[in-house]
Amino acid sequence: MTFYVIRRVLIGFLLLVFMSVAFFALTRLTPGPPFTTGENPRAHQELIDRRMHNLGLDQPWYTQYPAYLNALAHGNLGDSYVYNRPVTELLQQRVPNSLILLGAALIVSLLIAIPLGIFAATRQYSILDVGTSVVSYVGISIPSFVLGIFLLLAGAVWLRHLTGGDFFFPLFGMHKSGIDTLDDLVWHMVLPVTSLSVLSIAGFSRFMRASMLEVLHQDYVRTAKAKGLARRTVNYKHALRNAILPIITLVALQTPQFVSGAIITEGIFSWPGMGLLAFQATVDRDYPVILGVVMLVAVLTVIFNLLADIAYAVVDPRIRY
Amino acid sequence: MAEPIKEVTGFQSLMGGAGVQQALDAEEALRHAAAAEDLVVAEVAEPSELGFWKLAVIRFLHHRTATISLGVLMFIVLVAVLVPIFQGDLYRFQDYRHPFGAPFQFHARAVSLAGVSFSIPWTDHLMGTDELGRDEMARLIRGARVSLTVGLLAILGYVIIGGVLGSVAGYYGGWIDNALMRVTDVIIAMPFILVVVAVTAAFGGVSLTVLVIVIAGLGWFEIGRLMRAQFLVLRESEFVQAARALGASDFRIIFRHIIPNSLAPIIVSATLGVSGIILLEAALGFLGYSIPPPEPSWGNLLSGYEEALLRNQAYLVAFPALALVTTALCINLVGDGIRDALDPRQR
Repeated sequence: MTFYVIRRVLIGFLLLVFMSVAFFALTRLTPGPPFTTGENPRAHQELIDRRMHNLGLDQPWYTQYPAYLNALAHGNLGDSYVYNRPVTELLQQRVPNSLILLGAALIVSLLIAIPLGIFAATRQYSILDVGTSVVSYVGISIPSFVLGIFLLLAGAVWLRHLTGGDFFFPLFGMHKSGIDTLDDLVWHMVLPVTSLSVLSIAGFSRFMRASMLEVLHQDYVRTAKAKGLARRTVNYKHALRNAILPIITLVALQTPQFVSGAIITEGIFSWPGMGLLAFQATVDRDYPVILGVVMLVAVLTVIFNLLADIAYAVVDPRIRY
Repeated sequence: MAEPIKEVTGFQSLMGGAGVQQALDAEEALRHAAAAEDLVVAEVAEPSELGFWKLAVIRFLHHRTATISLGVLMFIVLVAVLVPIFQGDLYRFQDYRHPFGAPFQFHARAVSLAGVSFSIPWTDHLMGTDELGRDEMARLIRGARVSLTVGLLAILGYVIIGGVLGSVAGYYGGWIDNALMRVTDVIIAMPFILVVVAVTAAFGGVSLTVLVIVIAGLGWFEIGRLMRAQFLVLRESEFVQAARALGASDFRIIFRHIIPNSLAPIIVSATLGVSGIILLEAALGFLGYSIPPPEPSWGNLLSGYEEALLRNQAYLVAFPALALVTTALCINLVGDGIRDALDPRQR
């Protein structure tokens, strides 16, 4: 076990170094240098060239890479070309925004999806079960941007007819300017969280139902029933505990992706999160920001994968490495 | 489908925050891990004279929702293939007299048939026109071509790349398997949008080929993993050991014994994958990284949503959204029907 963990940590470390090389090369090899988009289109070519030279961008990528790796090892992600501020500072500002939005969406969807999945599985073929699966099929077929557009339309037009012109839900941003109370934030989150949740509710409830059905057909559940235990006890004490494990793993493995935000939903509702930052950085060729976001996600992914594998081994004594 | 890939930095989140694709995949894996062995058993156990595939077709046709969805889907495909042939350039023809035309505006039109003249309700633009006076319906139908072509070609790419790599890794194991799994890790951590921007910039613009290459190149690993899991199970199964004991070559074992028995989950995953790709293409079009205008695609049509809503032309958003959701829903339902038909445990 100790040997396995050491080996995995080493492999994970090598993987990260490899990924940093790959992503570094990918950004540098993308045609279209920085400072050609977004900046003053009439900027003098000589100025652009001088700036490129000062940043060392006129050298081939493999000459630039060691300096980047050295800075990275010291926890320095560099300065954004566009914002002229340290990338770490930008990340500190933006990551919490995305975490709030996606975390709220995850909690809402789990709170709805898990009970739905359990009810559907324990009452298989009932109206509730069939209804849930119909709704979840529609849910997984609606991309979040389509839903987002229609929520925007509803908030901007349809609901305003009801309220006589007032905005029912705020459509854009995180806060009214000048106000940063919690209820203002929650009010601003209603529409984006809804558009993010529907898809996950559909997916999670189907997953929960399948997992619960799988467990309900196992021998130990039949034994528990045969002992004469109440249905409630069998379902919620014996079956649920095993059925909910896969969904916990699923959620845990997804968490690192949260820091990368939700580009389209953040775009539609002007949510100042990581998705918008990363997309804009990609369009602007803001190399340090792109690499900062990508490496942050990569590091978290490697760590969480490792933790999940170790947790498996600890929880399930049958798994040996 | 779409989501252990990430949002901006990914594929799956591209479709919406939390990874539903991953959930669906895991669900898929749960089912098929158990079904793979049953499949073999069931074939022996059913004393039917019909073969497995014929029975599957019969079971599928008894699945009402799936059959209806297949019908709707075939209708959409037929319209997308045939109508643009007759309409020609209508999708980019600008009707200067009727820009901003509302949908479903009928007027009386005189028709004379065999000397009898009467008037019938008629409309030039059933679904209205956009700000340049282009016919929305023609654009929608033309856009279906892009979505469906990308969906079919990319899924072919998934199956070819994922099938070959997955089966090699699963059959031979060892370092090939390890290398494949690490490559998968890197692809999952790959920022999808960044790759799309890089590749499109390298090719000097988006085209159908570029779209298919990018999507297939980054999405194959799901089918690859599924194929690998199938091979890992079937490689150790008794009928393969028997074949090996009889002196069958690797080639014969793989193509005659393992692949026919591992097809069912691959077919299901590929079917569901098509809807994922169509939604992904729409998301890319929405961000401005699909086929460039004037060529319409469903994503392109949706990307003008802000202006359309500000001009109170919600129909310009509603029709493509409806087309997109209907197509994705039908594909998902057909996929589910196929899964039920191929799953011998008969839920």
